[in-house]
Amino acid sequence: MRFSHPLLALTGLLLLGTPSAAAQTGSGTIRAILEGGPDVGQRAPDFSLPWANRDGVGPIESPYQLASDRGKTVVVAFYPRDFTKGCTAQMRTFAEQYDSLFGPDVVLVAISTDSVQTHGRFAASLGLPFRLLSDPEQRVSKQYASKHPDGYNRRTIYVIGPDGRVRYRNLRFNPLDPKDYADLRSAVRSTTRRS
Amino acid sequence: MTSGFRVAALLLGASVSGLGSSAAQESGLTVGAPAPAVVVNDLDGRPVDLGAYLGKKPLFLEFWATWCEQCEELLPELRAAQSRYGDKVEFFGINVTVNQTPERVRQYLETRQPGFRVLYDDQGVSIRAYDVPATSYVVIVDGSGKVAYTGIGGAQNIEAVLRKVISN
Repeated sequence: MRFSHPLLALTGLLLLGTPSAAAQTGSGTIRAILEGGPDVGQRAPDFSLPWANRDGVGPIESPYQLASDRGKTVVVAFYPRDFTKGCTAQMRTFAEQYDSLFGPDVVLVAISTDSVQTHGRFAASLGLPFRLLSDPEQRVSKQYASKHPDGYNRRTIYVIGPDGRVRYRNLRFNPLDPKDYADLRSAVRSTTRRS
Repeated sequence: MTSGFRVAALLLGASVSGLGSSAAQESGLTVGAPAPAVVVNDLDGRPVDLGAYLGKKPLFLEFWATWCEQCEELLPELRAAQSRYGDKVEFFGINVTVNQTPERVRQYLETRQPGFRVLYDDQGVSIRAYDVPATSYVVIVDGSGKVAYTGIGGAQNIEAVLRKVISN
């Protein structure tokens, strides 16, 4: 199942340009690191994308712009698809544990390739208290090393501080792993405490 | 395998693994691989060593949640499989714990009675070891301790897989 299209996956990865793959050996184990995107301490690239929330599609003339939230802690979550199992688990958890994970002073936006219309239905179905951004051409996901060559986003998380710099990132966020949520919670708290 | 090919294969496997994990439905264990031996707590916080069962008899593992609709859809098939193979197979339901409490799990068990032995993986140990892509993910391990089947969703023919595993 995992290696069903290995050549396609490798070709796509090589064509990505920004992300690259590296293999390291040590202690008899092999691990791979996907590189690219702003690392911790680097400035998060600005972007502007159309959005929807549980109340409907946002005005076309008022896309969400990252730079407009300078001075706040912003969490940017890239995810594959609306209405899929893993994404539903992740977004439901974000919604139901919003106060614990993020709190009132943090801005959370989640980005996939789905249309704003699909986003509106997905957000309404789960009652999501945050915006879903639409990036069908994966322009932003490429900047953030979150572009899968098969046309959807990889599941990644960035925590951006009030100064616009990345404070934390997880390029392999697992929506079912409690540790990943705990790490995210710690990163958000650490960022908001410092600001 | 030449060294060049080995490196290419490592890069390829590692890359696809990384991407696959992000793209939820593409991850998971490979059939034929040894099942990871992990220790996971039960609902009362007592450690259960799955490694103690590996290689002795077949195992059924379902990674589930109270809010998982596909897990609910799979319940009739699960009950039928338990009724038929309960004495030959160890059935475990590993609760993924994300967005639920032990109390919520206990309430669910009282009303739905899935029948499997429930583990509560609040450390995510088995989630990582089994590379679980989503709830309703089922892993069936044969009597030698190797992964015989992985599947996901509410429509899985568990009985047929167990029949084959037991007959081998």
